[in-house]
Amino acid sequence: MSAEPAAYAIEIEGLVNVVGAGQVLHRDLSLQVRRDEVMTLVGGSGSGKTQLLRVILGLKRPVAGSVRVFGVSWNDPGFKKVRDTRRRMGMLFQNGALFSALTVFDNVAFPLRERGGLSEKKIRAIVHTKLSEVELEPRHGELLPANLSGGMVKRVALARALALAPDLLVLDEPTAGLDPDRSERFVQLIRRLRADHRFAVLMVTHDLDTLYELTDRVAVLGDQHIIACGTLDEVHELPHPFVQNFFRGDRGRRALAQGEAAA
Amino acid sequence: MPARDAALEIETVENDPVPLRVRAYGEWTFNGLKARREEILRDLDELRRNPPQRLAWDLTSVDDLDDTGALWLARAMRGAQRFEGTPRHREILDRVSQGLRVPGALGRRFDPLRPVVTTGEAAMRFAVHLGDATVLLGRLVLDAGALMRRPRDVPLREFSAAIYRAGVTALPVTMLVGFLVGIVLTYLSALQLKRYGADLLVINIVGVGVVRELGPMLASIIAAGRSGSAITAQLGVMRVTEEIEALSVMGVSVTTRLVLPKVIALAVALPLVSFCTDLAALAGAMLVSRFTLGITPEAFLEGLPRAVEAVNFWIGIGKSAAFGFAVAFVACHFGLRVLPNTESLAAGVTNSVVAAITCVIILDAIVAILLRNVG
Repeated sequence: MSAEPAAYAIEIEGLVNVVGAGQVLHRDLSLQVRRDEVMTLVGGSGSGKTQLLRVILGLKRPVAGSVRVFGVSWNDPGFKKVRDTRRRMGMLFQNGALFSALTVFDNVAFPLRERGGLSEKKIRAIVHTKLSEVELEPRHGELLPANLSGGMVKRVALARALALAPDLLVLDEPTAGLDPDRSERFVQLIRRLRADHRFAVLMVTHDLDTLYELTDRVAVLGDQHIIACGTLDEVHELPHPFVQNFFRGDRGRRALAQGEAAA
Repeated sequence: MPARDAALEIETVENDPVPLRVRAYGEWTFNGLKARREEILRDLDELRRNPPQRLAWDLTSVDDLDDTGALWLARAMRGAQRFEGTPRHREILDRVSQGLRVPGALGRRFDPLRPVVTTGEAAMRFAVHLGDATVLLGRLVLDAGALMRRPRDVPLREFSAAIYRAGVTALPVTMLVGFLVGIVLTYLSALQLKRYGADLLVINIVGVGVVRELGPMLASIIAAGRSGSAITAQLGVMRVTEEIEALSVMGVSVTTRLVLPKVIALAVALPLVSFCTDLAALAGAMLVSRFTLGITPEAFLEGLPRAVEAVNFWIGIGKSAAFGFAVAFVACHFGLRVLPNTESLAAGVTNSVVAAITCVIILDAIVAILLRNVG
């Protein structure tokens, strides 16, 4: 592990991000995600959480500032280095973003085939391992995404995100649209997978239950930058009105009580 | 108890500073107001003609009040001297009066510079399109170069699927259209040629016309409508469902994986389709010549190579390849520009087909001028 030069999975420094006709969304934003932690990004609606994720994923180029994932910037020259870094990262989109023309099996196999270097037999084995890790059976592999329920889409998408055994998993609203029971099981699933594979997680969520059960640190996005970043206890003490409302409102207190009871 | 319809009762009290007592009762709701709509509106209008200081309102017998009822009352009650009613009624009325105070949409004033601004915006949009298309073309060339060095990564499956979709499945409709156009063209030419006794010239006219111009043109216009719209819609929906983002995040080049196979496939498939269209159109021509001019199929087939130089055929095939490239390229360009919403998807598909057909016609004109001395 010590051979790795970058101490952080994600490092953002002095990020300036603009949307539309020059409306500044982020100004001088900095954030670090360690290689072994679960970091949750919270913020009010319209604070630019999804846009920040897009910048981190390299789908959008910031106006200024640097974004490094495992020490590599998306603008670095060297196609190979950037591509290899991309392959160390798994992304779970809010609505799954499964390839609708491919079956579940082919969806999970896609990143493996794309990377190359594996026989079809080995790919088969890996895909079925990943499917069983997310509690799907081999027979589900034949289905098309259109025939899946919302929860199954999320699990297949998670299996695809995990196919290359990533060192960093990015989750956009992982439990949005799932019923409480499924959300709970999804959270347990991520916990278990993390215990097995030890990857870093960057997660955006509004679901306080998910947050309390999974996260090591929280970053609060607001006023165009990270207002606060730290463990839950540290962030709780902040007097900022959004933080107080978010964690100390009725829902926040209830979730906190449940989280403590569970722990 | 059945709901009571809305109604008004107006009473005049003599020698009182507030002589008009208005009592509203019943269901002042959208449905409750239906029954005596005209009557109530007339009464309310009349009340508004009185100075508001002379009115006293009593809403205590109103059973139910919704936004419609409140709106009617609020307009009539503006500035009324006295008001009786539950706090809830007062709250609804206050809320509705606030809505009444919001000014309507401001009419856009006439701006003499408007046409200039519109023209300028259109020109800017066109420039952005051209710029993006150039970038896409450059990426395609780079990707094609990269693929030549790593032939293992060539997306063969996508390529063959695209050829099948754009080529094989397009054959029936394109050949049918070609056949019918061949019939019409020959029939009309035959009518004219018969007059001058130049019957055999029909082979020249139809032969050159079909092989050099109509075959490629028909095939590519149908391809723009069929394959072009399908490509734009497919890429557009992939944008909406974030599949394109998912590809990018996995480090897969969208141009290599999605654009390049479609563009090359159509450039390969369209010459084949237009060859079949040529055959169908010539078959139609042969059929009509037999019955209107009495030229036997044998004579037609024998005259064809003499009347139409082979270079015309190759020009037609070459043009088809260029048209196929243009149609798929324009379709991909528009597909990748679709924003994640339905409106943009619909506009993208429409613009894609229109732009593809325009592109094909412009290309055709350029080729016609460049090769005017050939064949």
